[in-house]
Amino acid sequence: MPRIDGPIAFRGGGFAPSDRTWAAVATLVGVVALWQAGASAGVIPTLFLPAPVSIARALWALTVSGELWKNLSVSLMRLAVGWIVGTVFGIGLGLAVGLWSVLRSPGMALVSALFPIPKIALVPLFIIWFGIGEGSKLVTLAFGVFFPTVIATAGGVDNVPRGLIRMGQSFGLSHTAIIRKIVLPAALPAILSGFRVTSSIAIVLLVAAEMIGAERGIGAFVLSAGNLYDTDNLLAGIVVLSVLGLLVSWVIGRLERALLGWR
Amino acid sequence: MTDGLRLTVDGVGHRYGGLQVLHGISLTAEPGEVMVLVGPSGCGKSTLLGIMGGMLAPSEGAVRCAGDVPPDCLNALTYVFQDFSLLPWRTVAGNVALVLEDRLSRTACAARVAEVLALTGLTDFATAWPRQLSGGMRQRVGIARALAVRPACLLLDEPLSALDAQTRDLLLEEFASLITAAGTTTVYVTHNLAEAVRLGHQIVVLSRRPGQVRDVVRVDRPLAERRAADPDLMALEQRLWRMIRDDAAVAERERIDASD
Amino acid sequence: MPRLLGNVLLVGLLCASAAQAAEPLRLGLLHTLSPAPFYIAQERGYFRDEGIDLTFRFFEAAQPIAAAAVAGDVDVGVTALTGGFFNLAEKGTLKVVGGALHEQKGYQGSAILASNKAFQDGLTSVDKLAGHSFAITQYGSSFHYMVGRIAEAEGFDVKSVTLRPVQQIANMVAAVTSGQVDATIAIASIAKPLQASGQAHILGWAGDLVPYQITAVFTTPAMIADKPDVLRHFAAAYQRGVADYRDAFLRLDAAGHPVVDAQTDAAIPLLTKYVFTNDPDARRKILDGAGYYDAGGALDVADVLDQIRWFKAQGLVKGEGDPAAMLDTRFLPTR
Repeated sequence: MPRIDGPIAFRGGGFAPSDRTWAAVATLVGVVALWQAGASAGVIPTLFLPAPVSIARALWALTVSGELWKNLSVSLMRLAVGWIVGTVFGIGLGLAVGLWSVLRSPGMALVSALFPIPKIALVPLFIIWFGIGEGSKLVTLAFGVFFPTVIATAGGVDNVPRGLIRMGQSFGLSHTAIIRKIVLPAALPAILSGFRVTSSIAIVLLVAAEMIGAERGIGAFVLSAGNLYDTDNLLAGIVVLSVLGLLVSWVIGRLERALLGWR
Repeated sequence: MTDGLRLTVDGVGHRYGGLQVLHGISLTAEPGEVMVLVGPSGCGKSTLLGIMGGMLAPSEGAVRCAGDVPPDCLNALTYVFQDFSLLPWRTVAGNVALVLEDRLSRTACAARVAEVLALTGLTDFATAWPRQLSGGMRQRVGIARALAVRPACLLLDEPLSALDAQTRDLLLEEFASLITAAGTTTVYVTHNLAEAVRLGHQIVVLSRRPGQVRDVVRVDRPLAERRAADPDLMALEQRLWRMIRDDAAVAERERIDASD
Repeated sequence: MPRLLGNVLLVGLLCASAAQAAEPLRLGLLHTLSPAPFYIAQERGYFRDEGIDLTFRFFEAAQPIAAAAVAGDVDVGVTALTGGFFNLAEKGTLKVVGGALHEQKGYQGSAILASNKAFQDGLTSVDKLAGHSFAITQYGSSFHYMVGRIAEAEGFDVKSVTLRPVQQIANMVAAVTSGQVDATIAIASIAKPLQASGQAHILGWAGDLVPYQITAVFTTPAMIADKPDVLRHFAAAYQRGVADYRDAFLRLDAAGHPVVDAQTDAAIPLLTKYVFTNDPDARRKILDGAGYYDAGGALDVADVLDQIRWFKAQGLVKGEGDPAAMLDTRFLPTR
């Protein structure tokens, strides 16, 4: 009979990658350092790609002159209003689609048909419908935020354990009470996860939204700098947009920790 | 002990699609007493419990209730669930207060929550989250929540089945005293015959699918006087098992198309 | 490096097969009516006569042509003089060598349009533009410059005009016809039908109000250094094209109306090969849209330097370089 002899070899472990924040930071810093070195050595022509130092200088000039805040504040206002409008309506329709069969198939059909339309292509229509004032910009942002919110919310509602809803019914809770106390809190993780997506979409759409008739705004600034081949300011604007994205992501993370601490 | 609610099941049958799961069920749950439903898997006992509490509409027959309801009753027919059905985003106190918070004043609500938590030994866990609790603790929350609404009839759907045997034994004793103290009409579904003989005044044995009433055994001894090791209770357990065994063997080999 | 190698091989092959070697040259241009003299010169073989094998590289917008030259995808180009163009030229990567389209008094190039609502409320002439809104494509565009020049000419502050950048010319038109901006600019072939159909009012023609160099011929310093002869031959062929174009479209009679005769008729089919192809309305569109070119393709140096100074004063063009360094006037005449 065959035999085995010896210590038991370890077979488990792995498949559990951990977060190493220091590695992330080090990588970013390293890339920027390499980039600066290349620009200083003349290996990277600054016509094509400005050095990090010139971008930093451009950013500094924008901050000191107040230009940065003038543009950023306007964009932040548009982002806030557009995102809130799109989110409120999106959660509303998402809930409706998730809860009532009369709305489910028509709702999802509409969403699936309209979602893939590139918002940039709709800009000329938006000018005619909503004007070139704040209206069309807010609509562009709200439109872009609306559809992913509907989908995330409907998905979240779908995934509410039916047992919990039956429990609520067995205790005589009204329809509204069940939605308020059971469906919404249960769908919240999916909704917040949707917020990550929609806030990124909103920042991306900011440039498209501010294409029309925007005198001020980070998106308009980036567009104008690109048009003028002012690459320093172009990249400075892009850096601002990136930082904005990181900030929003951080805020949502805090929100998740606060509201979903029960997990 | 209140006079309580009498539940009358009259010729109830139920079909899931083309599959008949219950047939010709006629029973009466007497006020203040515990009715236990036992039978092999798939015999429709959970379905019957759902019909009796109004959570399921029967294909045939009807259920009626008649009798007294506690003066501060907030939900007459109240369930306790096998999987506890606690809301994970609410603390223990929050779960217990689920129905109370809209119907009672803040102080009244807090008072009643404190009362049922004390009754079920959960006072120290009022601010704990469900994920922090063991299975046994979670079910204690389940029954605390049920008792908090001062039900006229308690419907328990295999409440101890999701727990390990040790916890089940501990909780069974607590359930027995809580049910006795509450004095409400109780309908209790289980596949565990030890629970049946410990708790039931009327033990209803259902046949395998389609479930019909095979036998009803009365046990009049008060719950407070029953012990797990009582020989006559153990003999009753054996007798029940003999009734069910053959059905159980066949049911175990059946495909799972429609569950209880 | 690959380009040089490719050129050497091509020249070698041509030498082997033919007595005369034609120098290949890539011209970047907008796919519209405005580079018409180039179409004429190409169709009548003027480039071939000068020993140049010219390839057209078409673009749908003006800005990328400048970028393409910087990137080495075209050798010469004709495009609008915008802030972006001057920023690239400022970095020493482009040189303006000749003139192309020019707004000129007496010729209907672009018109200043007012919306019906603004017109009814009193915007009846360009000196009243102060305090109104004006649609342009982008900051630093030639439309932006035009507003600035009008402000200077009529004596009001350009900053009192609310500029609305809308990216596309179609959006500019939509904005003014729907009354969402008070004014904008449009070329004759768009402006005249709008006035005729009552959708907008023409306040005046840019050529009458602020004549300026709209587009120019440019190339790269590398081309000037390596192939000045080729550029000279190219310039010669271009000038012949301009001469034919002026004869066909830019002669005016005593009353100031365009003369349309056999020369015009001969030139039109050369153009419909490139623009308005298969369009039954092509003839009218060409006659309406033909813009002004200076004789000999001359560059309006004074105006170009003015433009550069204006853009720099507005902060749209950065750099301390001498504006004159962006021009090289050895190949084509100046005004």
